[in-house]
Amino acid sequence: MEEEKKDNVPNESVLADLLIDNIKSIDQEKEAVADIAQTARVSENTKPQSVSDTRKEQAVSLEKNNKLFQKYKIKDIVFLAIITACTLVTGVVMPFVSGVQVFGIIQICLGLQFSILPVIGMMKVRKPGALLLQSIFISIFLAFMFTPMVSIIACALVAEAVALLIFRGYKNDWACVVAGTLYMPLTLPVLILLYNVFPSISKGKDAEQMFMAGSTNAGVAIGISVAVVAICFVGAVIGMIIMRELKKAGKLKE
Amino acid sequence: MSFLKYKNYIYPLFVAISSAIIIVFGLIEATDIRGLYFLAGVYVWLLIFGCWKTCLRVLPVLVIAGGAFYGIGYLASRNHAFALAMVTRFFAVVIAVIPGMSIEPTAITRNLSQLKVPRVVTLGVLIMYSFVPVLRAEIKRVREAMKTRGAGSILNPKIFYRAFLIPLVTRIVDISDILALSIETRGFTLGKTKYTVYKKEYINVFDVLFILGIIAGVVLTVVL
Repeated sequence: MEEEKKDNVPNESVLADLLIDNIKSIDQEKEAVADIAQTARVSENTKPQSVSDTRKEQAVSLEKNNKLFQKYKIKDIVFLAIITACTLVTGVVMPFVSGVQVFGIIQICLGLQFSILPVIGMMKVRKPGALLLQSIFISIFLAFMFTPMVSIIACALVAEAVALLIFRGYKNDWACVVAGTLYMPLTLPVLILLYNVFPSISKGKDAEQMFMAGSTNAGVAIGISVAVVAICFVGAVIGMIIMRELKKAGKLKE
Repeated sequence: MSFLKYKNYIYPLFVAISSAIIIVFGLIEATDIRGLYFLAGVYVWLLIFGCWKTCLRVLPVLVIAGGAFYGIGYLASRNHAFALAMVTRFFAVVIAVIPGMSIEPTAITRNLSQLKVPRVVTLGVLIMYSFVPVLRAEIKRVREAMKTRGAGSILNPKIFYRAFLIPLVTRIVDISDILALSIETRGFTLGKTKYTVYKKEYINVFDVLFILGIIAGVVLTVVL
């Protein structure tokens, strides 16, 4: 008899399902009520609205809900700072590889971590300026350690501008991937300036020697640049997969 | 009087300026032996101006990694000048790091606050600095958990992703949520609220001497 009773008592997962169903039905009811109210408001309006007016209203409401530039909260700053600390820790190899005069060696060594972690940051915060803030945090440290990499701020600015122009915000996961992919490869031209052009100017070399010193020819430079972009793209996609997995697990709170 | 008082660390803003000068000039002069002389002079200057602990800590790295760089460079090119240039570049980067490593994170934050840098940045920098030891402990904990479960080698990409990366990121997300709550509870805001910097950073005669010495080094290297 006791066993039969136990069978009749719904277990926790069934109760949870029931609860979710109830919440869903409540939400549906709310939506229906809101629709009715909206219809009533429209019918009460004596002046018939033109198509352009309704479009304007829709645009305004969309703008309110989907504001491109949103205010940052403390929790956003904390997460971005923490993820930047992780990026910095994983970038300790920089002093060792920066001495090697091979075109793009720093970007090849740091590309993966400098794309995985910023993408994680952007996918959690999802506000324009997330990448820029990360780059500002990291550049304050790099100013005291490896000053040329401070140029990473400009790279973040360009990467974000491109991503925002294409996707109009970070709602789409691929916007974060695009920004994360462009972030590190954009430092290539800056470091060419530092490693090749500046020393070459002091030695009075011609323009071709200036830009191609350290890489045997233009083909190698292009090949390495493509490799850096590929590494960063892979890293950005890994970052996206990690965040999707965390979202699925319910770890990402809005 | 504080202008003449001895202190064992350099003014944070001067640290950033000196790092920039050391690395840029070191890289520019990397192909010349004068670059190496300049860096040697800077190393001695840093030893005098309160960075001796970091200088000594970095010395084995300079010797061992510098030797390795020279060996690799010479084997790759059979050219002494090329190998020496590689070593100079490495020294420039490492020596530029020394002043930054010798300074307290709180001193940097104080200095930034004094310079009216937005609260978002100073708060972020402070969190970043304080999080590095926490991150180290978390990595250790995740690795120990891997060992306990017998998850396998961390060098295997699949195991690295599933057993190391995902738990670490999850933990980081949790820590950031708790830390954010803690900061909000302590009354930190991102708005334009007035705040006080209790221990202000002032430029000292030693700071001026330090930066002038670095600039003099650059000038002497170019002229001589």
